[in-house]
Amino acid sequence: MNPIVRSEIARGVTFSYVSDNRFKTMRISATALLPLQAETVSAYALLSQVLTRSCAQYPDFTTLSKKLSSLYGAALEAGVRKLGEVLALTFSVSGIDDRYALSGESISEELSKLLCSVLFEPLLRDDAFDAEEVEQERRQLIDTADAELNDKRVYANNRLLELMCDGEPYGVRRYGSRDGIKAVTSSELYNTWKTMLSGATFEIIYVGDSSPEMAKGVFAEKFSSVQRELLPLGTTPVSAPENVRDFSDKMEVSQAKLLLGYRTSVAAPQTEVTAMRLMCAILGGSAHSKFFKNVREKQSLCYYCISRYHRVKGIMTVESGVESENIEKTKNAIMAELDAIRKGDITDDEINFAKLSVSNDFVSICDTVSGIGEWYLSQLGDGRLLSVEEAIADFNSVTKEQIVAVANKLTLDTVYVLKGNEEV
Amino acid sequence: MQIKEISSKLLSEKYYEIDHPSGLKIFVWPKEGYNSTYGIFGTPFGSIYNHFTVGDDEVRVPDGIAHYLEHKLFESEEGDAFTLYASTGANANAYTSFDKTCYLFSCTKNFHRCLEILLGFVTSPYFTPETVQKEQGIIGQEIKMYDDSPDWRVMFNMLRAMYKEHPVRIDIAGTVETIAEITADKLYTCYNSYYNLHNMALTVVGKVTVDEVLEICDKQLKPCENVRVESHFPSEPYEVCEHYVEQKLPVAMPIFNLGFKGSGDKRLTEKEIAYTDILLFLLASSVSPMYRELMDEGLINSTFSYEQFEGPGYNCILFGGESRDPKKVEQIVKKYIEKLRAEGISQEDFENARRATYGDALSSLNSVDTTANLTEDFYFSGRKVFDYFDAIASATTQDIMNRLSEVLDADNTTLSVITGG
Repeated sequence: MNPIVRSEIARGVTFSYVSDNRFKTMRISATALLPLQAETVSAYALLSQVLTRSCAQYPDFTTLSKKLSSLYGAALEAGVRKLGEVLALTFSVSGIDDRYALSGESISEELSKLLCSVLFEPLLRDDAFDAEEVEQERRQLIDTADAELNDKRVYANNRLLELMCDGEPYGVRRYGSRDGIKAVTSSELYNTWKTMLSGATFEIIYVGDSSPEMAKGVFAEKFSSVQRELLPLGTTPVSAPENVRDFSDKMEVSQAKLLLGYRTSVAAPQTEVTAMRLMCAILGGSAHSKFFKNVREKQSLCYYCISRYHRVKGIMTVESGVESENIEKTKNAIMAELDAIRKGDITDDEINFAKLSVSNDFVSICDTVSGIGEWYLSQLGDGRLLSVEEAIADFNSVTKEQIVAVANKLTLDTVYVLKGNEEV
Repeated sequence: MQIKEISSKLLSEKYYEIDHPSGLKIFVWPKEGYNSTYGIFGTPFGSIYNHFTVGDDEVRVPDGIAHYLEHKLFESEEGDAFTLYASTGANANAYTSFDKTCYLFSCTKNFHRCLEILLGFVTSPYFTPETVQKEQGIIGQEIKMYDDSPDWRVMFNMLRAMYKEHPVRIDIAGTVETIAEITADKLYTCYNSYYNLHNMALTVVGKVTVDEVLEICDKQLKPCENVRVESHFPSEPYEVCEHYVEQKLPVAMPIFNLGFKGSGDKRLTEKEIAYTDILLFLLASSVSPMYRELMDEGLINSTFSYEQFEGPGYNCILFGGESRDPKKVEQIVKKYIEKLRAEGISQEDFENARRATYGDALSSLNSVDTTANLTEDFYFSGRKVFDYFDAIASATTQDIMNRLSEVLDADNTTLSVITGG
């Protein structure tokens, strides 16, 4: 992968460019980083949807969609996610590279302008967004938020984080609550948009073969007319309570879900994060992990049992789907694997295999257009930006002693179980 | 050995098609500048192959056996393939669909070793009563996970209601009861019938050359005898079995699949697939009047989707998503199909749809895994990848109208709905 070229085009607005001619498509994304708060999260989530639905130039989604389809089915998308206790709103356009246009037109130029239009020139009625447009997106966002119930793995993960991080910003869902989404007015949304433009830290990333200068110029010009006053961003790690908290819900399900939430005492930008990530990979990150080998293959307790390290917040979650009568047994099996690592019961193979697997994932990511942008975005909470090679070297330098040391810093905070109605 | 170069000027892409002396069909698709390599080794044996004749024996096997076989093939006398892959860093996996089973890896180094492992374990079955028994718990939990998935259920319920006889109506993984009937002997019978190199295909895409692939294949693959296996499918009426099916599960809003059953007599050609893709874009994409009405009425949301679903003996077009009133969605979809038939297509709309379909297909060639899976899938379906792109680029409005006259029979539909419990 070619190196990233970064420059600040306005206060708190970084434009990055990665030149790459391997792909059929190009992509520009603008990510607004904002404080994650229960009071504002729904307005930001709704804003991201309303902005990508229409704009002054293309005043409804049919005309906007027509424009996109004439550009060879280009995609305009908005995504909302949490990076620790920072809310990241990503607006992106992607489309075929100019070389593949059937009649020689410049797709990248059109798409750069379009992304700028949706961010800076929305469809406004005085100092408010168009009410009808807002209502359509509100309905859909409520549907999307509600639909998190449908996938029981997603639902159970959300419940665990909500319960474990109750009162902390990290416990807030990325779309906020149903009531929160309902309450946002179209004039509040206007203020939210203004706040985003003036207060968010922006990361704009251009990946493609065409020159980024045009896009960079357009964004620089638009931001030059905005009075910028950056909102503070940060994440607060928390320690586990003295006693483990147990929660459970009941639902009409045939498979129970078991989730464990740990406080790790290690969060970005601390250097021990790398050892913790590797520890988590050895524990439950792949088909060579301790969970896969022992909880699944040896004991046949489950189909999946994985661990995930939320490095910006400094927590680790473990999830599995099991028979209700096996919940205790599985919990003990999971804890036994972690105890093994804590006692130093890790082979050199396990460490090396995890390193190889992590390195394979990193290198593969950069063989996709969106992966390249993602590589840098995912590091925003780390306090440093590493190339793939640097990140791999960082992982390869971790020793067994360091892995054992970080494993001993984990404290179990919360156990969450979702089980069927008929069981006690 | 025959090595054919297949290239497309339009896409600036080329790949190689090789008839290996062992009987195996091999595709090698080098991608300049890529760091990863994706290998996929498949056989056209999926969940629908539950009745066949091999030699003089007519065999019926339990539902879910193809998927079970996929799980068990990873094990050998020396251990499991995941352990072998571990020292390469590769990401390895496998999947079973209605009509095929594929084993795959994605690596960024140690390609030689990865391909050796892949060819090795897929060609060396090792099943014992103990290892077969051990898998019951794992697959049992996989089945239960899918039983709780409304997106999965809504689709299988639709197929079960749409098809009266064809085994596409059976869940891919079977049920906890049917997998209990699976034995090591039955796995060997399936393996020896369908896992024959003459029947299979290997595709490698990304950082790779033809020579590298052939060096390993030449060393590892021995010529094998072509086993004659005849698959049997019951005759399926044209008409759907049931027009409506419903199940209760914990969901926030009803989820639906609306399927238009077509004739499954013949596999679709590249042109038929391409024209249907353009047609569906015109009818149901976010630019269409139908989508607009459904949205304005609050009947669909961003989950709305459509696709053509086709395989040996089955063929349907389906629309899906969440809706507070799926029956109303069905009426509106049918109304716009008739409207399109009556009013035809404007040149501007057609041109946009053709471009969007082309752009969408083109971007799929960005990724090594999509390219490899597409190649494998097209080969097993008797189609050629570049012919599909050419068909999109050269399509006319008349082609699309002709296609419309062959599909989307409004009298032959099944609506499947999952409602909240």
